[in-house]
Amino acid sequence: MASTEPPAAVTPPSSKPNLLPLASPTIITPSAAASVAVAPTASSSSPATPSVATPRPIPSDAEVFHIPSYSCWFSLGDISECEIRCLPEFFDSRSPSRNPKAYKYIRDSIVKQFRRNPSSKITFTEVRKTLVADVISIRKVFDFLDAWGLINYSPAALNKPLKWEDKDSKSSQHAADSPAGPSLDSTPPVRETSKRLCGSCKSVCSIACFASDKYDITLCARCFVRGNYRVGLSSSDFKRVEISDEMKTDWTEKETLQLLEAVMHYGDDWKKVAQHVGGRSDKDCITHFIKLPMGEQFASSAEFGSSINKLNQMKDDNNISSSSSPSKRLCLSPLADASNPIMAQAAFLSALAGTGVAEAAAQAAVTAVSEMGQGEPKADIRSLHGVQGLQDASITSNGSDVLKSVEEAHSGVNPKPEEKKVNVEEVEEEIRRVAEVQMKQIQEKIVHFEEVDSQIEKEWKQMEQMRDILFYDQLNLLKHERAIRKSGQQAAEGVRTQGDYVS
Amino acid sequence: MKPLPSTSSKTPVKFRMPTSENLVPIRLDIEVDGQRFKDAFTWNLSDPDSEISVFAKRTQKDLKLPLAFATQIAQSIQTQLTEFRSYQGQEMLTGEKIVPIKLDLRVNHTLIKDQFLWDFNNFDSDPEEFAKTFCNDLGIEDPEVGPAVAFAIREQLYEIAIQSVATARESRNAKKGRRGEYSSISSRSTGAALDLMKLFSNRYSVVRKRKEWDVYEPMVDILSNEEVNALESMEERKPR
Repeated sequence: MASTEPPAAVTPPSSKPNLLPLASPTIITPSAAASVAVAPTASSSSPATPSVATPRPIPSDAEVFHIPSYSCWFSLGDISECEIRCLPEFFDSRSPSRNPKAYKYIRDSIVKQFRRNPSSKITFTEVRKTLVADVISIRKVFDFLDAWGLINYSPAALNKPLKWEDKDSKSSQHAADSPAGPSLDSTPPVRETSKRLCGSCKSVCSIACFASDKYDITLCARCFVRGNYRVGLSSSDFKRVEISDEMKTDWTEKETLQLLEAVMHYGDDWKKVAQHVGGRSDKDCITHFIKLPMGEQFASSAEFGSSINKLNQMKDDNNISSSSSPSKRLCLSPLADASNPIMAQAAFLSALAGTGVAEAAAQAAVTAVSEMGQGEPKADIRSLHGVQGLQDASITSNGSDVLKSVEEAHSGVNPKPEEKKVNVEEVEEEIRRVAEVQMKQIQEKIVHFEEVDSQIEKEWKQMEQMRDILFYDQLNLLKHERAIRKSGQQAAEGVRTQGDYVS
Repeated sequence: MKPLPSTSSKTPVKFRMPTSENLVPIRLDIEVDGQRFKDAFTWNLSDPDSEISVFAKRTQKDLKLPLAFATQIAQSIQTQLTEFRSYQGQEMLTGEKIVPIKLDLRVNHTLIKDQFLWDFNNFDSDPEEFAKTFCNDLGIEDPEVGPAVAFAIREQLYEIAIQSVATARESRNAKKGRRGEYSSISSRSTGAALDLMKLFSNRYSVVRKRKEWDVYEPMVDILSNEEVNALESMEERKPR
């Protein structure tokens, strides 16, 4: 997960030394628990001092805090894109007490409090007793920091499965665990011993196989039972490995290369990709492709050709994060549709990568498809899928940008006759969901307008009351005036009549 | 000079906390099997009620309380929120309302005594900001004081708001009998509100009278362990 190049190249620019005035804290990122396929290696990034060649000696008085490498974007000085995406309610000005300043105050206080005693876990209740804010805001920030390992993170806790692991990555962690154990130290990635084919009968292993760590041999269940091992092995050397569909085979580098080439060529046509890779079903291809660590592993290896580099470059260019090391991130996306694992993954990625990257990815996929002269409706559907996932994941933010870009890409692509079979039901489902979302938005708008309406009515009534008061006053005035005038007249008349009498 | 009927004075406003955010002060005082749990915090009304049980469970787990506490906590919070919400549809009168807020609280080893004036009509006010600044300025080290101060302010504002709802109701009933008697309503508004005129009756200066200086000055006391114990036992004896 972390960068494999020497630390000299990696310097997160945004992190500043602000924890201690004297010694700048060095954040060392040990390899994280295998949240995705292959166990990563360790790297160190110095926030403050300029990085030198490997390995840099840590100043003895620096405070060292361990955070997982997928959280290396974090810095006490600023708020990063990742936080804005994961906790949008603090940044959308919907409520006056949930604003960036309050968020920063809560976040910094929690992190500082934890770092005062990093060896012990800090509980939510401890924290909320000391913060001047409403308890649910505190809880949200606390859970966010906890999930990202910025608090309550200690190397001993690495073996626990992480909070947001879905069932797909759980199975891959299982695979990484069984041969390699906790991948805390900086050993190079241990290749899984279970191979695709049985060592003796050369058939594809399914359901369960037996692996021997000592001799690096895999046998399918049949061979194991029959006793088809070579001389020197006994049945006790093997241990049973339950494997799901994903795990029965390990993706060799060659296969991954083929997969990536196929994706570049065929874009979203997973059937063709599966054919190209050979031996993998299209579902396997999709899941593995999504899980690929994007970037470093393949960038360094020259034999993978320019296609991979191009893919990585594209992702690099669109990398919004402040960290310069391209690393795959997972982000908690509560809106992901869990029932469809692919959509869930797409939602995770898009929520994490943000609309810019997702836009570019959608565009690239669409243009790649159009270049190869594939059926345009296919691209429609896949892009719709992508759009749907993106909309779900970034409902309050600029989903419209993505839609726009996808539509633009569409207009550029010439419609071609449909050749392949299309999953119409999926499309309709997606369209329906989009429509539902839009309807919800409209409903909310209606409610809001109704409120405004009733408010205006009230004010109108007040105005009417005031008008009545004024009118009443006016009436009184007039009455008095008239009364006075009358009495004046009467007085005048009285004088005149008296005068008559006199004269 | 007859005060003109402007929107700020005397026209009823929908009930809410007179602060920028509608945060409700929640006080917990639960006793289960001889174990007593007291707490006070602020709750954001716009959060869904599903948060209540999550929060209660979390609190119970973090503090290692017996399970029965979780349901009690959730119930208590729910009751207080419902009570707050029941006031929400009603109107409250907001005349010229400068209210005195008194702080008289003890948080762990810190004792705070203070009194100040708060503009009840200022719906942009922020007790949280006040509490943070208060702790910063007075150099209070215990981080638990801040939330307690904010809570105390909110609680008092809440009380005053409830009272003004009651007076609004009274005045509405009175209005049915007498029309045009607007001036009487303002004199009937809550005793907690000070009449601005009286406050500034000293026409020669706006500086507070010397004898009132002590009252309005914040006082922070750090107590020793024995004093804390003594106070705690006194508090235990009082309400029970």
